[in-house]
Amino acid sequence: MATDGLAPLVSAARSRPAWLEGLAGQLLALLASLGIALIAGSLLIIAYGESPIAVYSSILRYSVESADGIGYVLAIATPLIFSALAVAVCFKGGMFNIGVEGQYLVAMVTAAWAEIELGFLPGPILVVVVLIAAMLGGMIWAAIPGILKVKTGAHEVVTTIMLNGIAVSLLAWAINFPLKFSNAPPGQNVDLRTDQFPEGGLIGDIGHYFGATPGAHLSWLFFMAVGAAVVVWFLIRRTRLGYEARAVGSSPGSAKAGGVSIGSIQLRLFLISGALAGLVGMQQILADRGYLPQNYVVYLGFTGIAVAFLGQNNPIGIIFAAILWGILSRGEVALQIESEVPREFIIILQGILILTVVITYQIAKRRLAARQLQRAGAAGELEDSAGSDEDAGAQGPEITGREAFKGAGEGGV
Amino acid sequence: MPFTDIAVALQISFTYFTILYLTGLGGLFSERSGIVNIGLEGLMIIGTVTGAFGVRFFTDTMNLGTPWGPILGLLFGALCGAIFASIHAVATITFRVDHIVSGVVINLVAVGLARFLSYAFFNGQATQSDPGGPHLARLDIPLLSSLPGGLDRAFQSLSPMVLVAAFMVVPVWYALNRLRWGLRLRSCGENPEATRSLGVSVPQYRYQGVLLSGAFAGLSGAFLAAEVIGNWREGQTLGLGFIALAALIISNWNPIRLMFFAWLFGFAVAIPLRLNDAPIISALPPQFIRMIPYIVTIVAIAGFVGRVRPPAAAGKAYEGGGGT
Repeated sequence: MATDGLAPLVSAARSRPAWLEGLAGQLLALLASLGIALIAGSLLIIAYGESPIAVYSSILRYSVESADGIGYVLAIATPLIFSALAVAVCFKGGMFNIGVEGQYLVAMVTAAWAEIELGFLPGPILVVVVLIAAMLGGMIWAAIPGILKVKTGAHEVVTTIMLNGIAVSLLAWAINFPLKFSNAPPGQNVDLRTDQFPEGGLIGDIGHYFGATPGAHLSWLFFMAVGAAVVVWFLIRRTRLGYEARAVGSSPGSAKAGGVSIGSIQLRLFLISGALAGLVGMQQILADRGYLPQNYVVYLGFTGIAVAFLGQNNPIGIIFAAILWGILSRGEVALQIESEVPREFIIILQGILILTVVITYQIAKRRLAARQLQRAGAAGELEDSAGSDEDAGAQGPEITGREAFKGAGEGGV
Repeated sequence: MPFTDIAVALQISFTYFTILYLTGLGGLFSERSGIVNIGLEGLMIIGTVTGAFGVRFFTDTMNLGTPWGPILGLLFGALCGAIFASIHAVATITFRVDHIVSGVVINLVAVGLARFLSYAFFNGQATQSDPGGPHLARLDIPLLSSLPGGLDRAFQSLSPMVLVAAFMVVPVWYALNRLRWGLRLRSCGENPEATRSLGVSVPQYRYQGVLLSGAFAGLSGAFLAAEVIGNWREGQTLGLGFIALAALIISNWNPIRLMFFAWLFGFAVAIPLRLNDAPIISALPPQFIRMIPYIVTIVAIAGFVGRVRPPAAAGKAYEGGGGT
């Protein structure tokens, strides 16, 4: 491997290996932004006349100190893991799938359709068929921006935003017409929704194994999500597709020169991303409600983007990021019961956290890139004066920054 | 089919035109300066909640009555939109965060912030304010409002903001095409390096572009909440910010064409509300008509009908002399 050959050369200047420095930088950036968010949150809490320590400890008490709390947290994290993984897969290839939102809506429709039309199948088979239908729904919706990008160069950010809008109407149409409930209890004012799914087609509760309340709706889907994270990690780190995807993501020009078919990689990444996105809505309709309602939970796709950034697009990091997000979300209940601070405080806290994360990661990335470039300059031109070293440092961010933006920002919206 | 229905649909389309055009102009200023802004929806959301509050505050609490109360309220929404947009500006211009990432964050944070503000503004109601807020006096457009055959309905009892939006094209076009400020702003979006070499501060113009986008989107949101609906309700923007973005893209970032597409997409939004019984339309589910703006934009962006060309440097970080 070429990188292996380079490694000693680079680390000759310093003793720490580059990956360790990168990891340390990321962790430091994460801790710093968590600290900033908590301090900013403290100021708000003080403005409401309460003690930050009391509020934060009640959030922890309601989320991680009881089996019930943990059940709720993991149930909240489940769809977010799928959603963030879907975002991360595309991001590895330098693409931005902000269409997870629309992809999971379409997948909920296809899954509900399978539940109702194929309800005669025996339980376990039905569940498998429904999950496949969901993944196919997500893949179809993700294939459109993928194909358009490869064939016409249409920027995936624009097309996925538009497809999100179409998906909202598509779901509304589905529950108004083909999937509209037929067995509503008479005389009651039922919200617009599909029929109840067959009992065998739902995904079983696992909370009771750990003593958590069934109200948390913690299901096997959580383990599926963790499994999906491991699969995605393997895919990205250990397969040819993952290697080529990373090559396309970090430097499309050299990837192409190296014989990688960029279009085929991008399309495949979009399909994988869509399949993952298809599973986002399953926690809601298969583990929680048991039908597809009109007032489904929205913004899981966009929240997934936040979680993906919190986890630095690393599949394992995403699991922890989703759980952290779940702990904060569960805090809404804690605030309602134990505090005068409005529950909306949590959303503000999450917002500040993701803003600071995005900015501190960016700063950390640039500093790291500048330092590495400086070091490479020092290794390459040993006889040169310190002056040119400073030059390299000043030039560093410019070059790396451009490269970073080639993938996600090219073309404009 | 009676003309009255068409006329009423037209009247509704003028209202949606106002929302889409103001928001689209916001996106135009930002993207022409080189900063992609997919946070328009979020900026509008902040405009709705602060506008609904501002109109009530200035009219009732400050006892200014109409029209000054609603006018100041709408401007308050614009101001808050600009303040909120400064987050996007700081992130993308000073810290050079990816424009799309920052835009997504803006949309996410706006939902929570709107609830938080609503809780503070409207006595602990986090998802809506009391209906029936004060608004500007409705206006009949002279001459057009006395057209025969029922068509007069299209031009009657419109919010004055509709006219403000329609005539906004004049100063915007003039500023972008004739003023030194506008030419410089546009050159920041096309070729920042060359602009800098002329001694122009690119970050400064980009900040102005993004803040203006917040002000326009905020004004649009305030109009939606205060003038159209009459109160704040969570989720009332209904993706209109994204439709405005679609109109902006398909109009090729041109303020005059944007007028046409903002009206066209506004009409598409109005059809299911009023023209459900018309021939052809009655055969289609209303949900399909709501998809039209998005589908048209996808077709355009894929290059099947002409080509859209964004500002050359939009979405790219500008490195020279920007950061702090």
